[in-house]
Amino acid sequence: MPKNPPNTTSFVHAQDKLAFLLSLVPYLLDRDRVSVGEVASHFQVSEEQVREAVRLIAVSGVPGETAQYQHGDLFDIAWDDFEESDEIQITHRVALDDSPRFSAREAAALIAGLQYLQALPESLDSSVLSGLMAKLARGASEAPSQVAVARAAPSESLLTIRSAVERGTQIEFDYVSSRGDREHRVVDPLRIDSNNEDWYLRGWCHTRQGIRTFRLDRMADLTQTDAPNTYSPGDLSLPDTLFDGSGETQGVVLEVLPAAVGLLGEYLAEGEPQISLGALTQVTVRVAHIHGLKRLVASLPGVVRVVDPPEARLAVHDWAAAALDAYAANGEDPAGSAAAGRPDPA
Amino acid sequence: MVTTESSGAAPVAVEERLFSLVLALLASEAGLTKNEILSTVQGYRQKYVFGGDNASLERQFERDKDDIRELGVPLETIEPLDEAGSNHHLRYRIPKGAYDLPADISFSSDEIALLNLAALAWREGSLSRESRHALLKLQSLGVDSIEPVLGYAPRIRTREAAFDPLTDALARRVLVRFAYLKPGDLSPRERTVAPLSVVQHEGRWHVRGIDQNVNEPRTFLLSRIIGPVTRTRISFESTDDQSAETALAQLDEIWQRNRAEVDVRANSDAETRLLKRRGSIRAADARLTLHFTDLHLLADELAGFGPEVFVVSPPELRDAVRKRLELTVATHLTPTPGRQTGRDEPHERKEQSNAEEPA
Repeated sequence: MPKNPPNTTSFVHAQDKLAFLLSLVPYLLDRDRVSVGEVASHFQVSEEQVREAVRLIAVSGVPGETAQYQHGDLFDIAWDDFEESDEIQITHRVALDDSPRFSAREAAALIAGLQYLQALPESLDSSVLSGLMAKLARGASEAPSQVAVARAAPSESLLTIRSAVERGTQIEFDYVSSRGDREHRVVDPLRIDSNNEDWYLRGWCHTRQGIRTFRLDRMADLTQTDAPNTYSPGDLSLPDTLFDGSGETQGVVLEVLPAAVGLLGEYLAEGEPQISLGALTQVTVRVAHIHGLKRLVASLPGVVRVVDPPEARLAVHDWAAAALDAYAANGEDPAGSAAAGRPDPA
Repeated sequence: MVTTESSGAAPVAVEERLFSLVLALLASEAGLTKNEILSTVQGYRQKYVFGGDNASLERQFERDKDDIRELGVPLETIEPLDEAGSNHHLRYRIPKGAYDLPADISFSSDEIALLNLAALAWREGSLSRESRHALLKLQSLGVDSIEPVLGYAPRIRTREAAFDPLTDALARRVLVRFAYLKPGDLSPRERTVAPLSVVQHEGRWHVRGIDQNVNEPRTFLLSRIIGPVTRTRISFESTDDQSAETALAQLDEIWQRNRAEVDVRANSDAETRLLKRRGSIRAADARLTLHFTDLHLLADELAGFGPEVFVVSPPELRDAVRKRLELTVATHLTPTPGRQTGRDEPHERKEQSNAEEPA
């Protein structure tokens, strides 16, 4: 079987194939005659999946009056065109002609997705968006499940970045790394990625001469420049994962509550062994330095713990201890006794 | 390819059987009885035994009906008027008017582009198949999408195992049971809830529903649900179609009301990032005022900033952050603390993660 070209999906479940068949028929009827290649690229599936579906449609139909699936009870296609020139034309149709409605969960997924995307400059203004959501709800066979995402304000950084891409110019900003260094960066923006409430810029970093990922909320003083970019979106292929730790040499061994392994996010490379230690799971993550990881570990006390190497453990220890020192210097007793009220900050 | 087992005749693929069932039921206005379906429709008829035992084929049909209905196909059951109560002559059909996307619904290229991104956001994990199916249906309309100038790869991730069973129960309108760790409690308590909506606020998923013990609406944080969510077979009725909006409005009200003051180190990661949080205000040089929904979740976040953040108020937050820092220090002492210490962590954490129920 030929390998799928990039950006295509293959259907695993019979239910997925059914969804494709029910969607393909009205599309084909509408197009009259269309090439297999065009259908494949429109539906983002492989050409072989299209051919397989068309072959099935062509022999399907209704039992009919005789309950014997007679010739007129079946779909038919222009077979010669299909077999010789890879073109599809439905010449006889039965039972089905229109696009199907959405299910309650499908409409809910799209509606919640639209709400999530309100942070994008491409998003529509709220009245147009409400209209679109109402249309999806009306296009569902049942009231959409109530799954909602709180509206986020459009991000100004995204507007600046988008405008730079339109003009084909570089952007510059100060970037505070997890190490705590503040550095000026000049970047050709390529793509915006997100992960729930965290937004990232993927771009070609002129300062580092390489593809880098930046957290939007770590950028300060973002501005467009007038310098033309070296790379535009599409010029460079970006890996699907935001951070690639495979080339990093420092392995850090962590103990994690099994239910919280997902919180390690992209730190945990795919296929990395997870060793069960009874109540805890042991994993190894690869990092260039401990500074990003120490922040994550300190935000998950009692959930994640650094075991090895000792310097990494020490870095986390010192990070938390330095924070506690500030409270001690403020003349406070250990936590638990601070209920006395607001301190007078020094 | 998955195929049905067959005796002699060429096996019929599952998708062919499902497709044939949809076509047959769409074509029949009066509907078909189960026997008519099993004996005549492609994929069933090959295995149907006239006058014999078709129990396994009937179970197959029940599962197929579920698969088809899950796709949003309105598969109806009609009870003959003169035979009320008897399900032997129930007829099944798919009314074409309820199946077809209403003719006046169309989408512009811009709308399709945005909907593509909306579906793309769910490409991993929960709702990924639903969003893929929705996308196929949109693509069937044949509208070409306009590619945005700047590429986007949005991702909504639901790390909580409770998300799938809860959204499934929403669609089925059935009660769920789960163990929930309430603030101040040392052990979780079982709740029975009629789920009305699942909402994400400040990146956290919540479920709002009628708590059956008190018969009042309550909102629960999914990450505080301990263990599995059990879907019951008890269905419920609700006319509340504003549950999601109510839940979000209430969470936002709590967020507005709760304020924290923190001092941040100049030019630090904490200063840059906390300033970009929604609603953050620089109150004085190094001092920021933040809004929050849940004190314990904010404490987790602030503890991660280590010495870059000093919590000024409220005192409960300062205490919570310090407890976290103390725990981090205690679990990262050198030389390696004994294994036993490590094993104790989950219990300490349980007490810590208790926080206000959002409602």
